[in-house]
Amino acid sequence: MVNNTLPRCELVVYNDWWWTGSCEYSDIVYGVDSWMEFKQPDMTSSNTNPFLQIYPATPIRRAFNTVPDNETYLGVSKELAKITGDRRFEDLWKFIEERKIDVYLQRIIDHSATLKGYRFHYLEQLAREGIPALLNTRTYPRVNGYEQVHESKPWATRTGRLEFYRPEPEFIEAGENLPVHREPSDSTFHDPCVIVAAPHPALRPRQPGDWGFDPEDRAQHPRQMRNIMLSVDELLQSRHYILDQGYDHIFHTPKFRHGSHTTPIDTDYMMVLFGPFGDMYRRDKRMPGTGELYVDMHPEDARVLEINDGDYIWIDGDPAYLPFRGWNDPEKADAYKVARLMARARYYPGTPRGVTRMWFNGYMATPGSVKGHETREDGIAKNPETNYQAMFRYGGHQSLTRTWLKPTHQTATLVYRRLFTHVLGQGFAADVHCVTGAPREAMAKFEKAEHGGIGGVGLWRPVELGLRPTTESEAMKRYLAGEFVNV
Amino acid sequence: MPKVYNWQIGREMEFPYEGVRPKRQFAMVMDTNKCIACQTCTVACKTTWTPGRGQEYMFWNNVETKPYGGYPLGWDVRILEKLGVRDMTGPVYEGKTIFEAAPDGEIALGYIPEDEDWAFPNVGEDECTGSMEQGALYTMPHMQWMFYLPRICNHCTYASCLGSCPRQSIYKRPEDGIVLLDQHRCRGYRECVKGCPFKKTHFNPITRVSEKCIGCYPAIENGRQTQCTITCIGKIRLQGFISKPDEAREDNPLDYLIFVSKVAKPLYPQFGLEGNVYYIPPIHVPPRYLTQMFGYGVEEAMETYRRATEDKKLLGALLLFGSTPEIIERYEVQNDTAIGYNKDGGELVRVPIREPIHVRAAYDEQYETHRTNIT
Ligand code: SF4
Ligand code: SF4
Repeated sequence: MVNNTLPRCELVVYNDWWWTGSCEYSDIVYGVDSWMEFKQPDMTSSNTNPFLQIYPATPIRRAFNTVPDNETYLGVSKELAKITGDRRFEDLWKFIEERKIDVYLQRIIDHSATLKGYRFHYLEQLAREGIPALLNTRTYPRVNGYEQVHESKPWATRTGRLEFYRPEPEFIEAGENLPVHREPSDSTFHDPCVIVAAPHPALRPRQPGDWGFDPEDRAQHPRQMRNIMLSVDELLQSRHYILDQGYDHIFHTPKFRHGSHTTPIDTDYMMVLFGPFGDMYRRDKRMPGTGELYVDMHPEDARVLEINDGDYIWIDGDPAYLPFRGWNDPEKADAYKVARLMARARYYPGTPRGVTRMWFNGYMATPGSVKGHETREDGIAKNPETNYQAMFRYGGHQSLTRTWLKPTHQTATLVYRRLFTHVLGQGFAADVHCVTGAPREAMAKFEKAEHGGIGGVGLWRPVELGLRPTTESEAMKRYLAGEFVNV
Repeated sequence: MPKVYNWQIGREMEFPYEGVRPKRQFAMVMDTNKCIACQTCTVACKTTWTPGRGQEYMFWNNVETKPYGGYPLGWDVRILEKLGVRDMTGPVYEGKTIFEAAPDGEIALGYIPEDEDWAFPNVGEDECTGSMEQGALYTMPHMQWMFYLPRICNHCTYASCLGSCPRQSIYKRPEDGIVLLDQHRCRGYRECVKGCPFKKTHFNPITRVSEKCIGCYPAIENGRQTQCTITCIGKIRLQGFISKPDEAREDNPLDYLIFVSKVAKPLYPQFGLEGNVYYIPPIHVPPRYLTQMFGYGVEEAMETYRRATEDKKLLGALLLFGSTPEIIERYEVQNDTAIGYNKDGGELVRVPIREPIHVRAAYDEQYETHRTNIT
């Protein structure tokens, strides 16, 4: 994204209330109000939450000279209207111009099956007192399929029944017209992305030959259209082609409890609690901040690689693509330095052998944070120009992951029910039928970079004290077994 | 040394001061089964009380993953190791408390952590005790386990920070039993840091004197529960007052949990401090480890907790956790609703014992809309 996509964009404009990595790469950043500073109300809800979230307007002073986020849309749209002469750009946001957000929100309520009947002003008043509003779903707690099970109501499908056969041509083409297992796109020890199913007359996916590519081509795009079918035994005998190049650990990047999306977890207090390596005083000046990201490895896997608990390690993915296409171009040496992932390793018995994990929410290194880390006396990975604070010295979790765009997420024919309505839709719908693009999986190679002890000398202190999994002192062993008491 | 009665160990023990219990005693119950280690309490405490210079490393409230977590590093392993293996086979603890095990000339058995031990406040986060074999199934207690232990100062009845202070800078307020440290009297000898086995006093290197959790006393004085309690996402905490052991009241939710149903247990009672923060033990963890941590009777506590639905008073008390920012002084269960009252008998909150179930009409005639379960 950073090295191959952004350079092709003429202009990147972004709005945010916190200086994130996205801001680092933008030409223009609009500083907008945080949720705590809203001078106009807002509301949101999510598909699994029984509550409607109302953000009341607040009298709290703004911390900075920011504007509401929707005014940035209005401002840009006005200019577009001027340039194009098409007033619709501007008209779309008329309610913002007139400060009638509440009227607009009321309209959303009036046209939503689960909200109709609510008065926005009343809900806002309740929210101000901390009283939440429930969505008026059919049942509370929500029992999905209640009407279908108890009242034989139709499902929101073509036939009204639960459909286990997908007749759309795209699904037939992909071999997903019947329920089949697809091996993960990348994070598997076996042939990635293959269909695992017994032969069946209905399963006749298009093959590489039909598309005109080599069946052995497992590059990012062909891989998702190879549609090779294997039996379970064949799958288990297959090997991911990259294992033999030393990329033999699965690397997952799930979300974590201490942050989601762009919540400001790069503050000192949040970072120090984000995992086991936090130190408010940064006694180890290599640390990017008061805390840092790490990869969880099974202790035995780490030992094989001579990696100690708490060591800094290099983490590399498929060199054909990662950390970015063209990384080995000598002219890209600086970009490669920023992008190649380095983090601490943690001995984590809770993961199976061969499977590693790094949390998704870390603030990645940018050219500015690397400059800060290498030039500031205190070594903090903070961009001297923007104050962007990275949680990595180099790279980030996305140095290893890429997006897998599944063909059956992109059809023009699938039928579904439109959000908040009873209307059937077909084809693309944001959040319902579209590519998810969440980069979460990779195969990785690990290599020790530096010792875990302060300044790269010796072991990380908790290991030295005998308090760590698999390197416990006698006292720690006794403690784990509860043997400081007789019972 | 005078003798005082410590109900948690079922006997009299030595303590440097006469045993005068305060008029009321600040207390808290935490249900470890519900804590998710989000650290909201930690940050709420941090931003409220310790954002200043010299306080950077302090977490008066901290949450650690057990068994590998500890703030400061290995605090309980170290003091247990010093105290040695002890017998916990009956309600009366016959082993030595830290006062009774004190070296000659000292008040309590203790140690001062190294400065570096206060680093890594979330070390051990989410780490369990070993690997699961491929295809293994969990049985109770879990073969591999971990749980979260949130900690504040225990505002101990027999506070060893207080007992250890040579200048008597630490005192227990008679009105609510909160243990405070007078920073004007303190000379920074760090005897309290050494003496507190829970390591809940902290030396401030800028002011050169010590400080500690103040039990959010300005809130308590106004009938409100502490910051760590009212911000708790998991609603795992109930803060209020505990009665004297011989005056337990069934209608005080804390008393009910601690003295009547006995589901809530003190932290390391064998140390002999009679702390006033109580824990409902995690039901999936091996009992021996829990006995080491919460003392005699954990298995009974776990069994009672598992059967909480059979005891409406117990269930009612548990449901009041996180239900109101005010201190609940009295409660009752009426018609399947737990009701909490304040000091003056005013009603604070009603919590249904069972989550109400709504089934709305498929078509809402009044608002002319269908109600479905999928947004
Ligand atoms: S927990 Fe420690 S600091 Fe708190 S009252 Fe007890 S001995 Fe003192
Ligand atoms: S806020 Fe509550 S649930 Fe979260 S860590 Fe603290 S005690 Fe646990």
